[in-house]
Order: sequence, then structure tokens, then C-alpha cells
Amino acid sequence: MSLQPIRNPKELGPIDYYTSGHRTCAGCGPAIGYRLATKAAGPKTVLLGPTGCMYVANGHQFLTSPYAVPWFHTQLGGGGAAGIGTAAAFRALTSKGKRKREEVNVLVYGGDGGFADIGYAGLSMAMTYDYQRLLYILYDNESYANTGIQASSTTPWGATTTFTPTGRVRRIGNERMKKNVALTIAAHPGVRYVATSALYPPMDFVNKVRKAFNSGGPAFIQVLTPCPKGWFFDPKHTVTLSRLAVETGAWALWEYEEGAFSLTYKPPKRRGLAEYMRLQGRFTHLSDEDIERLDRMIEEQWGLWLESDRQKRLILSWTPPPTPL
Amino acid sequence: MRIWTGTRAIAEAVKIADVDVIAAYPIRPYTGVMNELAKMISDGEFSAEIIVADSEHSQFEIAKHASAVGARTFVGSSGVGLLYAAEAITVTALAQLPVVALAGCRALDDPGNFGMEWNDTLVFRDFGWLVSWAKDAQEALDMTLVAYRVSEDRRVLLPQFVAVDGATITHIASPVTPPDERIEGFLPPYKPPYPLDPEYGPITKSQHIAPSLIGPEQRKVVDASVKRSREVIEEAWRDFGKRVGRSYPPFLETAYMDDAELAIVTMGAYTKDAVYVAKKLREEGERVGVVRLRYWRPYPAQELRELLEGVRGIAVLDFSYSFGSPDMGGAFYNELRAALYEANQKPLILDFLFTGGREPSVKHFREAVEITKRAVERGRPERLVYWPTLRGDDI
Repeated sequence: MSLQPIRNPKELGPIDYYTSGHRTCAGCGPAIGYRLATKAAGPKTVLLGPTGCMYVANGHQFLTSPYAVPWFHTQLGGGGAAGIGTAAAFRALTSKGKRKREEVNVLVYGGDGGFADIGYAGLSMAMTYDYQRLLYILYDNESYANTGIQASSTTPWGATTTFTPTGRVRRIGNERMKKNVALTIAAHPGVRYVATSALYPPMDFVNKVRKAFNSGGPAFIQVLTPCPKGWFFDPKHTVTLSRLAVETGAWALWEYEEGAFSLTYKPPKRRGLAEYMRLQGRFTHLSDEDIERLDRMIEEQWGLWLESDRQKRLILSWTPPPTPL
Repeated sequence: MRIWTGTRAIAEAVKIADVDVIAAYPIRPYTGVMNELAKMISDGEFSAEIIVADSEHSQFEIAKHASAVGARTFVGSSGVGLLYAAEAITVTALAQLPVVALAGCRALDDPGNFGMEWNDTLVFRDFGWLVSWAKDAQEALDMTLVAYRVSEDRRVLLPQFVAVDGATITHIASPVTPPDERIEGFLPPYKPPYPLDPEYGPITKSQHIAPSLIGPEQRKVVDASVKRSREVIEEAWRDFGKRVGRSYPPFLETAYMDDAELAIVTMGAYTKDAVYVAKKLREEGERVGVVRLRYWRPYPAQELRELLEGVRGIAVLDFSYSFGSPDMGGAFYNELRAALYEANQKPLILDFLFTGGREPSVKHFREAVEITKRAVERGRPERLVYWPTLRGDDI
């Protein structure tokens, strides 16, 4: 049973599988992502959640659960293995006649801490297997957001976190460059489907989720989800920031389907990065020159994204790390 | 009858149990069991998903999550590998998933050491896993089958380690008689009460909670399951004995204990050497017996008290150690002392530590009994802990 592409949001129907009963922050980007992805996956889905802000915020206070499909916690570093174990159980039980033949989507939905850091090896292991209808989504809010905003390896250069604060001696905050997890997952031979997405445009994310499940192998999507608490912005700006991330080119939307690369969104005229960064409190200490320099880096990167799109294959860039002025 | 190593015998049990999902990651001496299973599956002897994991942590997470769906699972490790998986091992028990794992006991690093020690497995005494301890390949096979029966019982629903002493059981081939078709019906299919399967509707499992709502209650539920496993273990071994014709006492195996003044208490493979030593000493007129624990969790404290209350001295053959612990002994020694604290007549209990993986011999066990006997005659021990295989001064 393949999941048809969605052209009109109304085709998704009124039922939510991530619904009331959580206590995420106002304007929570990951919660919007959860809602879209589970709606796209539908009721025949098992959802697995590595520890992260979406674990802590989705339960806790009144023993309520926002999940209208089976859901199980996995340890912070266990996401990759949990998906494999769950998919293996379904395949073993159906092939041995212990369970009726019926396709089940296994959706492991972890944060950047879980998939870019501690659970990265397990995620990589999963990409070398051939389990079908197994999708790993990395919701990238660029920090450990449930423990008080600590840097992860997807925290962008220049962002302040409690582990990378600005100070009298260290002016920049986080001095590491954001790890591009999706590109590294695309480097696994035989991987069927890898994509990046954002909360804007929403149907881009929904259809990528459906494509991923149809792909015939383990698939991976990295979705950028702004976090009001960690990025320090007014909760009303969550979708605006998703849109600006895409339109400034700070976050490129692409997919990698059986070896073929394509951009799924090309900004007609790229907006300046300052518009995106000045809405966020985590970058306020950066100078205009810093932001201009980052803007130039993005410009160079976009040359490669567009060339990759033209050639339908990935070209890796080497980006020199920015040093503080 | 076959000649099988311990790991082969356990692999045969996994095949008989028709396990669905197996997760492998290599570390000596447990690895052999996965080598055997991989070959069996490659040859079509039975069907299972066998995952080659990227670490022990992943290995135990795979088993945990496959079990949540309703698959029968098998996993295992040794030494520091087990400790690397400790996080996944914790949550498997607290989510009450009946995974069965081989613990092939091995000394912990550093330095790298292929010898046998119990610390890798005894560390997990506080984790909610049942821990059974085999003394040879035959018992390892039988214990694995019984482990699935006990762990999957609705009154228990807990994971279980089948511990076997590294090398001495895992790698030594000995005569094993596999159970035949009489075993059928002994292991009903595993049916979890709340499978993680959309067919059974939505459940939310192991969500984050406020300790004010469910904290100690959940711990108490797991504890009650461990305690309830006692009756299930007794039932299972009784049923196993009836079907297969091989009977085992459920918790304690004893030799020459009827009129014993001195007792050797141990677990695992070296029990046979201890019984040999006791036999020789009996011939010399010494009233020596041997007690072996078959389960470390649930701990047979009551049985030990009843059996050892009248004994005057106990020599503990201990392959565990806790650096700087009370009286400088291992978990094995200290738990036995704790169990006998309530005894009306407390025996002298001396610990003989075989730590660091160096193999002991019957000479050391004989010395242990002699030292214990002298302490009893004097009415007090010179010291409580000895390191019989240590070279140089025991300071």
C-alpha cells in the first residue's frame, strides 16, 4: 500500500495522530513537525521517540499522551537500533506466520542530540539494512532543548547556548560549524531516500514523509524546526523563521532519491541572512560583518547546491570555518 | 547425546525456542553463540531476523524494541560489552520486556583480560533482570529454555540473563543431550499483554512522568514481579523435569550437605571442582558440603538460611570483587553475609577471591576449606578475605 502524494492539505483529512495532551512550549516548532509527519504517515504507524525535548514535553504532568498511534520511548542513543528492532520484529512475525500480513510504518522521530551526536552510529547502522517502511526523522532545533539549551553538533556557528556562551574572551559563542547530517546519510551506499525539509512549505515536508515510506528501504529526513526557547524569539515567529530559513538560503530543501539529487525549493531571489538572524536572540552578539561573512558563505554554498541540482548528483563543498574578526 | 560447547548448547536452545529476532555484536567469550546462530539461520535450520549491530548498546536496544512488538528475542555479551549496553539493559527491565540474554562472564578492562570474573554480570543485580547461573553446557541449554518460559510468564514479564562462566563453559565441549519433541508445549508462543502494534490500537509506553504521579509505585511493581518469579521458576523446572526427564532443584544445588560442618558456597562451572574437593575431604573424614546458587536474582536468601544455619564455617568461592568494599569482598560474598545476618546461629564466612581472571585449581579450593576449618576451630577468623591465586604478599 503506497502513500499517495498530497496536493491539497484537505486530502490529509481531519484526524491527527499527534494531538492534544502534550505540554510543549508556545510556538514549538518540533510539535508542528510531529503533527505534520504523523498525519502524513497515517494510522498504521508505530512511533518511536528517543529522549529529547519532545520526550520530556509530551508526557509528564497528568499522564496524558498526545499519541493516537502506538508510541514507545527509546534511549537518547538508541533511536537507530529501536527502529531496526521494531522493523525486524514485524518482518519476523509476518514471515513466520505469527502475525497477519499488513504493512506497518515505523517512524523514529529524534532530535539533533539523538541523531547527530549520541545516536549517530546507530542511525548509520540502520541505513545499511533493507527494512522497508522505516523512516528516521531528525527534528533539528539546533540544540539540546530540554536540558536548558546546550550546543549539539548541529548548532550553527555563532549561536549562544549554555555550553557555548559568549563572554569577555570568547566573543562568538558556538565556534563549530553545523554538521550536515543529511549529507552524511546520503553517503550510505544503497540508501533509497534522504531529504531535508522545514515547516515551510508544509506540504513539502508531508510529501517527503510519504515518499520516504514508499521508498523501499530505510529513509532519513532532517527537518529544521525553530525553537522559541532555544533560539530566543517571539513564539508567533515559528513559521516565519522556517520560511526565512528557506528563503534566505540558510537551510536548503533537497531530496536524494536512489542516487539522484534535486532541490525541492529554489529561492527566486535569495533574501539577506540578516533578516533571519536578527529575529533570533541567540545571534544578537554577532556583528553585521559576521553576518555578512556568513551570507557570503551561503552564496558560495548555493552555487554548489544549484550545480548539484543541474547535474542531479551531489557535489560536496569544503567550507573554511569562519574565524572571528 | 552430542558434544557441544556451552555457546553451541545455548544456540540450540534458541533454535528450539524458535526465537524471532537476534541481535549480535562480537566480544569474547560470548561471541560463539552468535556464530552458531548465524550459521544455523544461513543454513535454514530455523528462521529469525539476525541483526549485526554497531554496538552492544544498539544490540540490547534492538532486542528491547523487537520484544515490545511481540517478538521472542535473544541477545548477549560479555565483560565491558555488557557494561556498554547498561543503559539499554536498564530500560528493558523497567519496561518489563522478557528479553533473554547470554552473559558470558569475563574480567572487566583495563587491562584487557580474557579470564573469567563475575563482576560484569553481578553489576546487574540491581537492574530488575532475573539472573540464572549454569554450571555446564547441558544446564545452560536447559536454563535458556526455562528462561523464556519464566520471563514471558504474565506473572513475571522480566528480562533474564543466563550467565555462564567464560571459557570454562562457553568454550569447553562436553556431552549434551538436547530435549526431543517432549519439549513441545513447554514454551507457548509469546503474547505480550500490550504489544506495540497498530493492530492492537494505540498505547503510549514509557512516557516521561512526574515522580509525584508514578515513582516508587513503578519500582515496586518491578520488584513484585521479581519476587513473583520465584513460584514461576519452581513451576517451570518441575514441568521441565516431567517433560524432559532431567530434574533440577530450582534455586540451590547441594552436595554432602546433610551433616556438613563446613560448606563451600559458589556458582557456575567451578562447582564441579568444589564437589570433587568435598568428596576427597569426606574420604579424609572432614564433614564438608557444597552449595551452589542456580539463581542470583531472585536471590534464594530463605533457602540459604535454612540450609546453612547449622554450619560452622563457610568458604565462599568468589569471582566477584568490589574495590574497597566492606571487608574487601565481592558482591557474592557480601550478599551471602547479608542473607545469613538473620540466622540464629551465624557461621563464620570467609571469602576466597579469584579475581583478575586467573584460573584457580582444586589445590586452592582445598586450601580454602582448610583455612575455614582452622578459623572455626579457633572460633574466630584471622581475616575474612583471601586471594588464593595472588602472587606475592596479600596486603
